[in-house]
Amino acid sequence: MAFLDNSGDIILDAVLTDTGRMRMAKGDGSFKIVKFALGDDEINYELYSKDHASGSAYYDLDVMQTPILEAFTDNAASMKSKLISIPRTNILYLPVLKLNEVFDSSTARHSSGYFLVAVDSDSETDLANTDGGDSFTGALYGESPTGNGNRIRIDQGLDTSEISPARALDPLLVETQYMVEIDNRLGSIVSGDGTRASISYVDDDNIATYFLSLGTDTELISEITNTSADTSMTISGPRGTKLVFKVQSSLELNTSDYFFTTLGYTEDIANTVSGAGGASYKQIKTTIRVTGVNTGYRIDIPVRFVKKA
Amino acid sequence: MATTFKNFLSNDLANTRTLLHEAIPVTGTIVSGTYSDNNIKEYGHGMFQSVYDYPYLSSSANQIFDVTFGLANNSSLSASTTNQIAKKCNIYNQMAQTLVGYDQTGSIKKFTDSNGNEIRDALFVNFARLLTKDEIKKGSFSLMALTGGVINALSLSHPLTITDTSGANGYRVDSPAGEYGYLYAGDRGLIEVGQLYYQAGIAVLSGGLVYGSAGGAPVYCEYGGPDSHTAASTAATASFQSVATGSSLNVMADGFRTRLHNVSFNNTTELNSTIYFCRVNHNDFNYSSNPTYLTGSKIRVKTRASDAPVTYITTIGLYSADNELLAVAKLSEPLRKSADTELTLRVRLDY
Repeated sequence: MAFLDNSGDIILDAVLTDTGRMRMAKGDGSFKIVKFALGDDEINYELYSKDHASGSAYYDLDVMQTPILEAFTDNAASMKSKLISIPRTNILYLPVLKLNEVFDSSTARHSSGYFLVAVDSDSETDLANTDGGDSFTGALYGESPTGNGNRIRIDQGLDTSEISPARALDPLLVETQYMVEIDNRLGSIVSGDGTRASISYVDDDNIATYFLSLGTDTELISEITNTSADTSMTISGPRGTKLVFKVQSSLELNTSDYFFTTLGYTEDIANTVSGAGGASYKQIKTTIRVTGVNTGYRIDIPVRFVKKA
Repeated sequence: MATTFKNFLSNDLANTRTLLHEAIPVTGTIVSGTYSDNNIKEYGHGMFQSVYDYPYLSSSANQIFDVTFGLANNSSLSASTTNQIAKKCNIYNQMAQTLVGYDQTGSIKKFTDSNGNEIRDALFVNFARLLTKDEIKKGSFSLMALTGGVINALSLSHPLTITDTSGANGYRVDSPAGEYGYLYAGDRGLIEVGQLYYQAGIAVLSGGLVYGSAGGAPVYCEYGGPDSHTAASTAATASFQSVATGSSLNVMADGFRTRLHNVSFNNTTELNSTIYFCRVNHNDFNYSSNPTYLTGSKIRVKTRASDAPVTYITTIGLYSADNELLAVAKLSEPLRKSADTELTLRVRLDY
């Protein structure tokens, strides 16, 4: 995408996204625009210089000179960071989402920096109990999600040491709904007891979107009740809610190598049951994206679907 | 509660219709000459010839127009035609079916001039939709042909210029293919020579128009075949008769192309737009979920809690009720938003 010409008046470059065109082609009434959001994807607020020697007129000089890219038609590539409406203007801290890998070893990532999802029973058996922990660190069982206790946990709150975690998070800032996006060809979101979450929709790029709400999806979302400053919490300040889920691999990954051949590669994973030297695994790298629907913050969780070669 | 979306109200939407026009010039050297006819596509069936803007074997070639010729089955030429008579009649009937329609008995009607005289031999120039888009703009069509010699029979000078001069305010609406206007030739009094179907993008020209006499001088030939010619010389009649009866459709198309000087018209694209007024109130969208907006959960653009929050808008996302991004608009430069400003961003989607 090229940059937009910013030499004259402000112009708007508007396009339908691929999903918008798909819904329009369906003709089933699903193409209906009912709301809008604003984004600031290109902005780097680190350029905001509130101590500029020349005064406040220069604070955002660099920010305002940011060149803007043309609109992407891929619905997943735009609006990555949204602007937020909060009635109060005297807020100094905003909540973030953070992967909690310190709760215990069952929420930590694999040493490769990814969560590993074993897509069949052979892989599950090989990725088990050899590293001294309760189970292979960072390995989720994709065929039988309840087979081990490993899971992905995301905590929400103010990650600052300047406010005590004993203080309650302002209700305005408590996230009550999460949007989880995952490649539907590879896997799906399940709760700790293996119950599959309901997909809200699957877009034209096979990205499945789940909307999970506090009070409705009780197995997945709950309030963080720990208000102490202990080492099992990744959020240093006041805490809101947590999202905990597992990943079930798709039947296609379980029974076929097609996606591993077309989207993946083969690499050894060390310290498996096969031996310290490791075993060869077919792998697909992907990302699970979690977004707070109300607060807009989002994180990408690195995941590898793995199958013993 | 914090929120990232704002719903449109009923008065935030407006619908408009706009007509866009583009000037389309087609120079005669492209039609014959520049590419040594490598841009001319002929088909095994031989029923028409396609003209491209570049050698047609190239993937960057675009079709400009097709040329073909038709004879009505009641034309006096039909009986003496020896070359592709069936195909010439089929072409005429097909075009008449599409552009003129049927009478009350279900029979295919004939092309007629503004006085009701039948046009029984017609040259068809079918412009590609790539050029005409939704329609040819009425009153903008011009075709120049016959670059040599004086057209003595009608005292017309060359090149012969054909226009739909009455199109803008004198078009007809009784065609099943949309609106059409009459084509006129000449600069010393206008002479009717055919019809232009605006939405279909098809020019119907009197068949004898573009074929010269045996001596090579271009002439004008009137409606209805040789038996009803009113303005053509005997030599011209004979020449046209021999071409129409003895030549293939490809040869006749060649004859048209080599006599074509240029064509120009304006096309029309009908844009139906929905305008979304994104109204951003003073207390809307003053914070950001941009990862760089925070440092340790603290808002980077503020020093104290009492400082006014500020954000910079670069993108507008339009969403469905289930939060799917259906359209996206980008501003050409960041727009500062703070608690002391209100904005209305106008996003237009064209269909």
